[in-house]
Amino acid sequence: MKLSTWGALALLSLFSPPVCLAHSQHTSNWAVLVSTSRFWFNYRHLANVLSMYRTVKRLGIPDSQIILMLSDDVACNPRNTFPGTVYNNADRAIDLYGDNIEVDYRGYEVTVENFIRLLTDRVPPDTPRSKRLLTDDRSNIFIYMTGHGGNEFLKFQDAEEISAFDIADAFQQMFEKKRYNEMLFMIDTCQANTMYSKFYSPNILATGSSELDQSSYSHHADNDVGVAVIDRYTYFNLEYLETHVKNASSKHTLADLFNSYDPVKIASTPGIRTDLFRRDLKEVLITDFLGNVQSVEVDGDGMRLDEDLLSLARGAGYNISEAEWKEAMRGTRELYDAGASNNGGRNAAEQRTWAGPVRVHKDGETDFWRTVMSAGAVAVCFVGYWLFSMVDKA
Amino acid sequence: MALRVPVNLRKNLSVVLYAFQALSFGAVIIGLTSLLLLPLDEYSRRTYISENALLPGQVHAYFGGSEQNIVRAFRHEVAALANSTSDVVADRMAEIFRSAGLKVGQQKYSYKAAGGEYTGENVYAVLHAPRGDATEAIVLCAPWKNIDHLLNEGGVALTLALSRYFKRWSLWSKDIIFLISADARAGPQAWVDAYHDLHGPSVQSLSVKSGAIQGVVVVDHPGAYHRFDSLHIIYDGVNGQLPNLDLINTAVQISKDQMQLRTDLQEMWNHADTYRHRLKTMLRGMVNQALGHSTGPHSSFIPYHIDAITLATHGEGWHDEMSLGRTVESVFRSLNNLLEHFHQSFFFYLLMAPKRFVSIGTYLPSAMLLAVGLTLTAIRLWVDPRSRSGADESKHAVGEVQAGGEKSEGKQSEQGGPKQPTAPAIDSGPKRELFLPLSVVIGMHFCGVIPFAVFNTLDYKSMANVFYIFMAVSFVLPILLATLITLTTPPRRLLQTFHLTRCFSLLFLGMFLSTLATLNFSLSFLIGLFSLPLTVARATPKSIPVSLLSSILLQLASPFAALFAVAGYWGLGVEDILREASFGWWVWGMWTPVIVWCVWWPAWVVARVSVDASFVMAVTGKTGVA
Repeated sequence: MKLSTWGALALLSLFSPPVCLAHSQHTSNWAVLVSTSRFWFNYRHLANVLSMYRTVKRLGIPDSQIILMLSDDVACNPRNTFPGTVYNNADRAIDLYGDNIEVDYRGYEVTVENFIRLLTDRVPPDTPRSKRLLTDDRSNIFIYMTGHGGNEFLKFQDAEEISAFDIADAFQQMFEKKRYNEMLFMIDTCQANTMYSKFYSPNILATGSSELDQSSYSHHADNDVGVAVIDRYTYFNLEYLETHVKNASSKHTLADLFNSYDPVKIASTPGIRTDLFRRDLKEVLITDFLGNVQSVEVDGDGMRLDEDLLSLARGAGYNISEAEWKEAMRGTRELYDAGASNNGGRNAAEQRTWAGPVRVHKDGETDFWRTVMSAGAVAVCFVGYWLFSMVDKA
Repeated sequence: MALRVPVNLRKNLSVVLYAFQALSFGAVIIGLTSLLLLPLDEYSRRTYISENALLPGQVHAYFGGSEQNIVRAFRHEVAALANSTSDVVADRMAEIFRSAGLKVGQQKYSYKAAGGEYTGENVYAVLHAPRGDATEAIVLCAPWKNIDHLLNEGGVALTLALSRYFKRWSLWSKDIIFLISADARAGPQAWVDAYHDLHGPSVQSLSVKSGAIQGVVVVDHPGAYHRFDSLHIIYDGVNGQLPNLDLINTAVQISKDQMQLRTDLQEMWNHADTYRHRLKTMLRGMVNQALGHSTGPHSSFIPYHIDAITLATHGEGWHDEMSLGRTVESVFRSLNNLLEHFHQSFFFYLLMAPKRFVSIGTYLPSAMLLAVGLTLTAIRLWVDPRSRSGADESKHAVGEVQAGGEKSEGKQSEQGGPKQPTAPAIDSGPKRELFLPLSVVIGMHFCGVIPFAVFNTLDYKSMANVFYIFMAVSFVLPILLATLITLTTPPRRLLQTFHLTRCFSLLFLGMFLSTLATLNFSLSFLIGLFSLPLTVARATPKSIPVSLLSSILLQLASPFAALFAVAGYWGLGVEDILREASFGWWVWGMWTPVIVWCVWWPAWVVARVSVDASFVMAVTGKTGVA
């Protein structure tokens, strides 16, 4: 192979790094949202899951990447005082059933078998794409489950249970089949924390609403609908997500979310399991799981990139001193810093909690500079290619 | 050692006999005591809602405001028809239901019992659930005349108003049937029979039907008074069957917690939740259950496995129809939430306060132990050597120990057959002569059909007279039987015959009561209680005072005495009770008379035979000792 081609590849790999160096190495976000209980009086479980559905959609995960499993149709239950709606609050401000909802598995389709088949992608060949979890090893998956559970089991449809071992084994199979990069498992049910106790596959972060022998409780009832409309754990999760995580570019981390849990308010002790997860929670954005941000990042202080570029430039024949190079690059770095501080000024709360590396793509950064940088990168590529081809000819 | 014990027992049977006696005595004592312990906190439990779907009191009830005017208007409609005949009433009610946009059906019925004719016309309307699937229904019932034959003015007016009000809601998952029955006793029975196509020719079929009935609420708010103080929840069904406890709990919880409306059970108006009040409530419940009669329109539904209660208003207070209407609305919202038939909570329970109960597991032992006491006595009588005949037995008939020894010798010789194949003991050996005792017991039980048939076919007018005649017959019959047996049986087998007669009679009664206890605990318990003298009443020709005492005891514990007691309890004449029994048999399918006449009365007569035999033997000089 020609040397020029090698050089071009080297340069390309230098400028596509946004992905390679990205903090969270995922390229897609998926959500699997499951309510497992049937019957009208379990209205709240469907409201729970629809609330989560609304949240992940709000944060940018498209319907094609959300698998919504609704075990019953409370919206169209004859007992529903407000036909065709599901509310998660007695104020009835938001109709969760709304006009834009895609249910992928409904009613009796929500079974343990279908759930495990979905996770492991052992589905019949004629399964439509909407019913498949088409993830790969660069996909972050958010799995939310709610229903009636007990010690190491979760009831499905008043007919069967899934055990903690079943889910753990399914996750291991997903890992072996390279079906995820990282996973956030969240469960709201009685004795929920037992459900993730059996996990053994890497890169899974798990949280649940209550400990062994603890019940999870509903938050409040709507006296016109006549049933409890949301569970406490989900309610306070949502409260945090709604008030803090305003949009997909939020910088709030999972550590912030987990720190917001108040066992007194939730009336049970929520659990978090991090031993399978490699990253520090303070560096894991909520949107790494609940949003659909495909991160484009460069290293925080820019040093490595600078050095790489310098050596590359030298290799390309430029006789350039380190001081000169730094001087040349300073402008760009100031630019980054300016953007960061702008952003921080605008959203102090987020900035305070944000301790990770600076990102290229962030709020307030103008398109102009991005264009300049992109154009520069392309130009360097061309220059490099030209240089190498010259060397080649000689 | 292990071998010596049975040998000793065989030689000295009295130990076994005393043990049996002690056991049966102990069973009775424990049975009675355990019933009295039930109202204590340690043995009873607080009620709780088992069925998650019910969600009682979790909805706002909106019945009120202008609805009050509608109720008042309907009150006028009802009052205007106060003196009209049933068919006029039914036509007018049908008109009102139709104007509310409901499907209406009318049903004429006629029953004959105790020489009387019970006719009327039911009217009902079906509200189809706008988004339901018409496979299930719930019933709101108001009898035109309540159980006390008062015009149910408030109840009917409220039902009419609620039919219009419920029509406006779109959230019903089950059809709602509004039933105005002509009376509280026969009308609902005719309707529910016809609803399930199990009615006789004198009852019309229903023209409109809906799905399987999941629950029934009866409103009983008689009179022109608009205000009441508390809600009386009546729940006893025919034959002592009860509605699911969840339904009662739902009504209690909604009335108390949501409507601040006091609830009463079993006419205990000032329940202070003390031991006395709890016990009284429980015993009243047991009497109602034992009688097995209908205590309101709801009773007729319960044999069809439809859970039903009556909400009757009581007293004068500040609650008005709106409180009642809102309670009914809230109960209906809970029933509407049901996903399957009531099944989670108890069907066998004794309530002792609106929020306190004991379940079958706790109370059943007391009735069972009474029955076991009878059975153990029967077994003791069988083991007793006096149940065996033998030439030499009569010599020792009085001394149990000696007789035991004698018998065991005979038994040994029987068992030692191979050793002494020609033992003389076999010839003269102890044998039980079963024919006469068995035929007396079985014959008497068959004879029970006679009073049963007579009292179920008699006119009300002649009932009292026939009853007294029958009482006299029952008094004379045992004496006649005793005389007959004494005169025809060889003297040495006399005591043994009476002994075995008692044995079979008690065995049968004991087994029957154990079975009955699982179906109608209270009836079993009360009959067991009245039958306790049967365990001690025996032929004692040598001691006339003891016989006299037994005789008096038996008279006091006779079915007749019980009948008088019940009549006194309700403040009625005996003929009224008998009419009720006859009506119950023909209309409700009430089994209590069958059990009284075919099980209890024969057992009592047989016991009397033994006791009276002592007098006869004393008079004739055939004391059983040759």
